[in-house]
Amino acid sequence: MPSPRLDSAKPFLTLGIVAILWFVVPAGVKTFTRASFFELTAPISLSTSYARDLGDYWSLRLHSNHELIEAGRDMARLNASFELAVQQNTEMLAEIERLEQLLRLPSFKDYRYEHARVARRDFSGWWQRIVIRKGRNFGIPEGAPVVFTGGVVGRVTEVYATTAVVELISSPNVRLAGVIEGDSRPISFQGGVNPTFAPATGVVELIPLDIFAGPKATKRLVTSGLGGVFPPGLTLGTVTSVELSSDGLFKTGTVRLDERLGSLVEVTVLVPLIQN
Amino acid sequence: MRRQLALCLPALILWAVTSELNHAISGLRVYAFFGALYLTPLVLPHERGGRLAAALAGLLCDATTPVLFGTHLFLFLAGHALLRRVRDRVPRDDTLGRVIVTLLANLALFLTFSFTQIHRSPAPAAVWPRLMGDLACSQILLAIVTPWYFALHARCLELARVHPRSEFA
Repeated sequence: MPSPRLDSAKPFLTLGIVAILWFVVPAGVKTFTRASFFELTAPISLSTSYARDLGDYWSLRLHSNHELIEAGRDMARLNASFELAVQQNTEMLAEIERLEQLLRLPSFKDYRYEHARVARRDFSGWWQRIVIRKGRNFGIPEGAPVVFTGGVVGRVTEVYATTAVVELISSPNVRLAGVIEGDSRPISFQGGVNPTFAPATGVVELIPLDIFAGPKATKRLVTSGLGGVFPPGLTLGTVTSVELSSDGLFKTGTVRLDERLGSLVEVTVLVPLIQN
Repeated sequence: MRRQLALCLPALILWAVTSELNHAISGLRVYAFFGALYLTPLVLPHERGGRLAAALAGLLCDATTPVLFGTHLFLFLAGHALLRRVRDRVPRDDTLGRVIVTLLANLALFLTFSFTQIHRSPAPAAVWPRLMGDLACSQILLAIVTPWYFALHARCLELARVHPRSEFA
């Protein structure tokens, strides 16, 4: 029979042995284990997401025909204005193509739009990410940009068989180049400060000294197109304040991100048509 | 094998419930962390073992969060070892005692985990108010769900016809 002292030390001994074994286990085994555990949870996330959608469907069925007719009428009006925008867009794309050929410029990256429902939102003070209901089965690549009607959502960081994980721009791990609308000088954006009961915010650095912004004179921050991940001109957020950085060479500022990022239900993954 | 499955199944259910809860409250920008619930039902009743179930719960949490793979594993194993060490000195036979121990363990796990993750933020000091808000929310919700989860655990063992092993067996 082991002594009581040895018996009480046994859990710590086991912990030590596990720690030693963990450090010698090859990275490939860890990656495989991680993916296996994630795939184990995928059916749970997907089934709860489908159940939620079904619940929404049945609650929508309760709406009266009158409400449906009104919604249809509003939708028809919106469609008419979008039809006009599509025609203008086609015209502009043709113009861009003509100019590219004339000036021998490299053409913009082309994307396929893959719409996906959000299966799970996971927003903590440590990370901000969502799980979408499309993965390798729909050709979602790692690193693909994800957008919604309000602008940029984030970037695909992990791709699994039927799901993919998107890291939001409000996450501290996301850093990308942006520009102030109407300005061409790139500035650095990083997400990270997500206060309770308030919209997420991000941090901008390397802002040129001649740019001013305040709560009453906000500036729109858009993607710069540098780095090749995000197409240029997509909304990142609104710069609400800038102040001189500690080195005095640039300014730093705060960006208020779209409130709707906290309640996303559907996003669009921009799948590059020519992948590296 | 049946015993291990009976111990692991509630952890999977807890993970699913927590994920769904966090999904629902994400619009409010709060987050519920129930790390201690993966441990206390394995340690506080008169049982031996549960280390494997704690390790598997750790791996499950590691796989579904963007942390260094193994962070939750070691946190849970260390928590399990510490709880086993102190369990004879804490009230663990009544529900209130179990809830208090779970709350204290969750507080310790939350703070330890926060210290391992805080370095990734561009403004660590600015993140603490949010973390404190999450902690308060977690503790309130934890006090509500702990009795249910202990009952679920006991029921799972009962359904699997596994009798809790006495520590003196």
